[in-house]
Amino acid sequence: MVSKESCRNEIRAAIRQLSDRCLYSAAKWAGEQLVGIEQDPSNFTPSNTRFQRGSSSIRRRFSTISTPQPSAGFSQPPATPLPQEEDEVIDGDLYLLAKSYFDCREYRRASHVLRDQMSNKSLFLRCYALYLAGEKRKEEEMIELEGPLGKSDAINRELVSLERELSALKRTGAIDSFGLYLYGVVLKEKGNETLARASLVESVNSYPWNWSAWSELQSLCTSIEILNSLNLNSHWMKEFFLGSAYQELRMHSESLAKYEYLQGIFSFSNYIQAQTAKAQYSLREFDQVEIMFEDLLRNDPYRVEDMDLYSNVLYAKEACAALSYLAHKVFLTDKYRPESCCIVGNYYSLKGQHEKAVMYFRRALKLNKKYLSAWTLMGHEYVEMKNTSAAVDAYRRAVDVNPCDYRAWYGLGQAYEMMGMPFYALHYFRKSIFFLPNDSRLWIAMAKCYQSEQLHMLEEAIKCYKRAVNCGDTEGIALNQLAKLHQKLGRNEEAAFYFEKDLERMDAEGLEGPNMFEALVFLATHLKTNKKFDEAEVYCTRLLDYSGPEKEKAKSLLRGIRMAQTDFPSMDMEHFPL
Amino acid sequence: MAGLTRTAGAFAVTPHKISVCILLQLYAPSAQMSLPFPFSSISQHNRLGLYLLSLTKSCDDIFEPKLEDLINQLREVGEDMDAWLTDHLTNRFSSLTSPDDLLNFFNDMRGILGSLDSGAAQDDQIILDPNSNLGMFVRRCILAFNLLSFEGVCHLFTSIEVYCREAHSSSAQYDESNDNLESLIQHDQMDMEKYIMDKATEEIELQKNASGRVPFHLHTPEALFKVTEGLLVTRKEKSRTNTKKAEATQLACASSSTVDDTLVDESLFLRTNYQIQGFLMEQADAIETHGSSLSSSSIESFLQKLQNLAPELHRVHFLRYLNKLHSDDYFAALENLLRYFDYSAGTEGFDLVLPSTGCSMYGRYEIALLCLGMMHFRFGHPNLALEVLTEAVRVSQQHSNDTCLAYTLAAMSNLLSEMGIASTTSVLGSSYSPVTSTASLLSVQQRVYILLKESLRRADTLKLRRLVASNHLAMAKFELMHVQRPLLSFGPKASVRHKTCPVSVCKEIRLGAHLLSDFSAESSTMTIDGSLSSVWLKDLQKPWGQPVFSQESGSRKSSTFFQFCDHLVSIPGSVSQIIGASYLLRATSWELYGSAPMARINTLVYATLFGDSSSSSDAELAYLKLIQHLALYKGYKDAFAALKIAEEKFLTVSKSKILLLKLQLLHEHALHRGNLKLAQRMCNELGGLASTTMGVDMELKVEASLREARTLLAAKQYSQAANVAHSLFCTCHKFNLQIEKASVLLLLAEIHKKSGNAVLGLPYALASISFCQSFNLDLLKASATLTLAELWLGLGSNHAKRALDLLHGAFPMILGHGGLELRARAYVFEANCYLSDPSFSVSTDFDTVLDSLRQASEELQALEYHELAAEAFYLMAMVYDKVGQLEEREEAATLFKKHITALENPQDEEPKNMA
Repeated sequence: MVSKESCRNEIRAAIRQLSDRCLYSAAKWAGEQLVGIEQDPSNFTPSNTRFQRGSSSIRRRFSTISTPQPSAGFSQPPATPLPQEEDEVIDGDLYLLAKSYFDCREYRRASHVLRDQMSNKSLFLRCYALYLAGEKRKEEEMIELEGPLGKSDAINRELVSLERELSALKRTGAIDSFGLYLYGVVLKEKGNETLARASLVESVNSYPWNWSAWSELQSLCTSIEILNSLNLNSHWMKEFFLGSAYQELRMHSESLAKYEYLQGIFSFSNYIQAQTAKAQYSLREFDQVEIMFEDLLRNDPYRVEDMDLYSNVLYAKEACAALSYLAHKVFLTDKYRPESCCIVGNYYSLKGQHEKAVMYFRRALKLNKKYLSAWTLMGHEYVEMKNTSAAVDAYRRAVDVNPCDYRAWYGLGQAYEMMGMPFYALHYFRKSIFFLPNDSRLWIAMAKCYQSEQLHMLEEAIKCYKRAVNCGDTEGIALNQLAKLHQKLGRNEEAAFYFEKDLERMDAEGLEGPNMFEALVFLATHLKTNKKFDEAEVYCTRLLDYSGPEKEKAKSLLRGIRMAQTDFPSMDMEHFPL
Repeated sequence: MAGLTRTAGAFAVTPHKISVCILLQLYAPSAQMSLPFPFSSISQHNRLGLYLLSLTKSCDDIFEPKLEDLINQLREVGEDMDAWLTDHLTNRFSSLTSPDDLLNFFNDMRGILGSLDSGAAQDDQIILDPNSNLGMFVRRCILAFNLLSFEGVCHLFTSIEVYCREAHSSSAQYDESNDNLESLIQHDQMDMEKYIMDKATEEIELQKNASGRVPFHLHTPEALFKVTEGLLVTRKEKSRTNTKKAEATQLACASSSTVDDTLVDESLFLRTNYQIQGFLMEQADAIETHGSSLSSSSIESFLQKLQNLAPELHRVHFLRYLNKLHSDDYFAALENLLRYFDYSAGTEGFDLVLPSTGCSMYGRYEIALLCLGMMHFRFGHPNLALEVLTEAVRVSQQHSNDTCLAYTLAAMSNLLSEMGIASTTSVLGSSYSPVTSTASLLSVQQRVYILLKESLRRADTLKLRRLVASNHLAMAKFELMHVQRPLLSFGPKASVRHKTCPVSVCKEIRLGAHLLSDFSAESSTMTIDGSLSSVWLKDLQKPWGQPVFSQESGSRKSSTFFQFCDHLVSIPGSVSQIIGASYLLRATSWELYGSAPMARINTLVYATLFGDSSSSSDAELAYLKLIQHLALYKGYKDAFAALKIAEEKFLTVSKSKILLLKLQLLHEHALHRGNLKLAQRMCNELGGLASTTMGVDMELKVEASLREARTLLAAKQYSQAANVAHSLFCTCHKFNLQIEKASVLLLLAEIHKKSGNAVLGLPYALASISFCQSFNLDLLKASATLTLAELWLGLGSNHAKRALDLLHGAFPMILGHGGLELRARAYVFEANCYLSDPSFSVSTDFDTVLDSLRQASEELQALEYHELAAEAFYLMAMVYDKVGQLEEREEAATLFKKHITALENPQDEEPKNMA
């Protein structure tokens, strides 16, 4: 078991080293985790407690259920030693100048200052500054060059020289883990994924505290096979990595397990909480997610990351006021974040103002072209606006950003079904089900497609409904439909079976309605024709409890049953000529 | 049209255009001289002018030549002053050291233009008329430059650097100017740093080129070279290799510069949308024409690059779909088809084909369904295809897209007639379409007929000439294969003309071929900017190219009419394909009707005139027919030789029929030589080629079991053969394969004849004859008559007279059109008849018998048909014996023995022709 103290020390040193190298987002992440570790009661100062979550936290209610006893795991091999800073003095002055240039975002200047410095640290900063300069220029060029065909072939033109230099360094072995990280990034950008992966693995194995390296590595793990083939030293950072990688690969329960485990140490980490919420969201535990986000916002009120997810939850729960509050708050914090635009879009969508919603989703996409959920949500808006071809286009872009996005596949199927092309739509539903085979809604959608007037493939529809029932159909459509379909096909035995099941379900949930009458009437009639009078009578008496035409029907049925029961032979009397 | 479609911003200044401008400055300097300095003669001056004209014309082409290519061309145009021209060009480029120089350059360009009201131009002054082609070009360049923002100027400037650097990095000849440029650069202290860095990257790039780690100059262009060369080869004669090579390399180099995104991305200037569409259209044609012989991966990499450059160009997905379709990759094809239609809603690219229906806001998803249906059809999922096409019918009715409806109906009828869906499950009945719902009660044939009629009617009213033509062809095919029957055959007035009507077949074929004359009316809407302008370039290079490449001026004159059309009138490939198909259909119909020469002529017409523009599968079919013809009429040796050639050409085509033909020929050959084991093996392999799905590949399945029955027959296993033939007949009946029925019946008659059961054979032979009559299958009828005659003879020698009469009735047909085997059989049978006729005396009339026997034996030897040859020689020997010509008798006897031994030991000479 890694002690909290050692974790803390590791992170503290790492933050310093990371910010020395201007790896700010990694430093930020590390900082969040540092504060996330439960405070040492010994050096408790009042100022510290302010950042600690109070015991009033609602989260506690949930975390008590899940907090594991992490004593078992964490058979930590001797922790990776923290590298000592070597060359502080030698190139100190120039380095300081370069770093301040860097901090002012004058990347080329920074790299120029360090042109002759040979220490690892300066080398990294020079390359990194060069890389960022290229990235900046690339972004600018993208806007300058954008043509009618959406041409955006601007590339980072420093990549070639960077790759050459870094590979030479690597060959001589004069590269440190930060250099390896940069090399991995460059290789990834150049499309050489295998080498990039190798380089990043090497980097995180020698210096595990660089979260940026881990997340680059994670983006390169597109399948579980790749993930399992990585040769990673065990370190507590690896657990973070695995958690996020599992989440990307839609292995939500595995990911949740990892985060629960990590919460043993980083019990106050916002990051872990947000990630847990994400996983729970995918498992459709909306209430829990809402509470977690509320809690998160209370502790970190200016947070924008992951807030789009929160807005989705609020949308699903149709909490207009809360959503508008969130949108307002986020907009005040930073309106030029794709997340903020997406939240506002969600708000307008909930209000039924679809044009405005589309506008905000568009803005989000302008800020980040690969923002998956905005594409999908925009598709939904277009569907609402009955602009199916635009919807199809938006969904397709989502799918091309991430082919595993079942929502977009589902949306595509829906759009085509709306256009009266059910057979064409089937392919998309099949795709969506492939990625999420345990969702009854998808199965029901597919069944409806088969059932449609144009296709009328009832056998296939029945199969789909059966799958939906097996997946735990929450809306109770499948059983009823199954019964009706069987009835339509004249298979009364099967129909009776499903009506009975549906009835059980409705009883359990305390529901009533036309479906119930229908089931009762069918069952009573069916049992009567099969001469199971006792059971038929039970259903008839149940029907008598309700008013309306069903009551009359029940009465006549009962009368028939009585007749049949009392003078049995008279049944055949009718057939005799009198 | 061009003016309407091109937007103002589409004309971008590129380094290549600047070179043209520089040359224009040389051509028309502002100084007042009748003949500017470097030119020694007016003709030299004019030649440069012509060259510049062609360059400006081709500026709308998708590929721009690199500086190096330009210099090479200049060398040919400029003759003795080429050095001066190229020097000037490179010097002028190297003098462009800052963006400001560019500004000044374009200011200078204004000077060479005359004023717009240039009435008062002096005689000895060379001034560009601003309204001339060259003048317009200069004005467009100036305008485009003036529209550029400062960033744009900077980009142009850097791309000029790359443009020049490429030229001297690849040819050492220009090192001088290279140094020049660099020394100039070095003087410029301000930008020192930047240039050092540039130099470094340049070095890296050079290093990379040299080491080949990034296979830029070495490999990628090669692959592309093949693509582009392939494009060119089809359209040009082989004799024109010289220019072809030059052009191909030029295109290839240019394409590599366009396509390679890592190095020269700045020199990329995407052309207009229309140009790219046109280019993609050409590529699509190429994919179709070459089938999978084009390497699919090279196209794939090319498309990938294009997509990187123009992510909004969705037609790339469609092209990728085509490519995958032709390389038989079902999943990728499906994926790309769906992606294409998802993105563009079917509105991109197809607007060129369907101008009549405006852009509906729903998109054109019915076209997606149509394409999907055809894709399923191609991959052999007829039921899926039918389902999808039914949906396509519904959706296109819903969106009232009649054009698509017409096409869909045609596709549907094609599907139904090809697949012969046996089960009359009312797949079509589920649709509420008025066309198909009535059809649900009818047989498949009748449905096909209705669909075709309906499609034809719609196509006619919509003036879709291509569809009309292909529908006519389909109709001809239908009438060829099916007996005309009134659709509702009850009521007193139902005419009973149970015959196919060759006149109507012919009429339909002719109607189909009318497309060519109709086409001129439609051509204006079909021309595509991109492809047209690239044709422009090729044509324009001819006038100045001719004196330079004088050695090939003679050969070019042989260009045919169609090639001429190809280039200038630019008849699209699809039209010539349909016309070509009409010739193929003609050949097939003659084949069925039994006229070998006509069939052969039509196939030859097809192969010579349309071979270039046809799709690979059609071309393959033509070759197949010719080879079959060879085998039937010239014997196997020639056929196998021809097959070898065809194999090389077509083996890469997916679903190649060549293999099928090869098996057929080998089987036939083995049967004739009595090598039954081999025959059986071939037969099994043939059966293995067919898909296992019911109703798919019916032709192949019928063929296989027909051959199996024949093999069994040859092995004298009569009852088994009869069983196979019987079940085959049932299948044919079930799938309504009428023509095949006739031949199965004939086969049954043969089986009974061979088994010595002549009485049983007679009804089969008669039935076969009546089938043949109703389908006008004259040759098959003749051979059935021959069998009938043989059966009569089998009943006893007293029927010899009748048999002989029958035979003589069929003789004209057999001798005129029959193949070697049939003719030989007839001859031998004739001799047999004479010999068994009691009233015939051998000693007096022996020449008649010997004549036919000699004929027969010659033909049989060509066929290596040992069994029948042995019989012929046996008879010959007997006759000679009777007449007393002992020497000849011995000769015939030895030949008889030779054939008998060959028949008994078939393995001796077996693997000679096995490839």
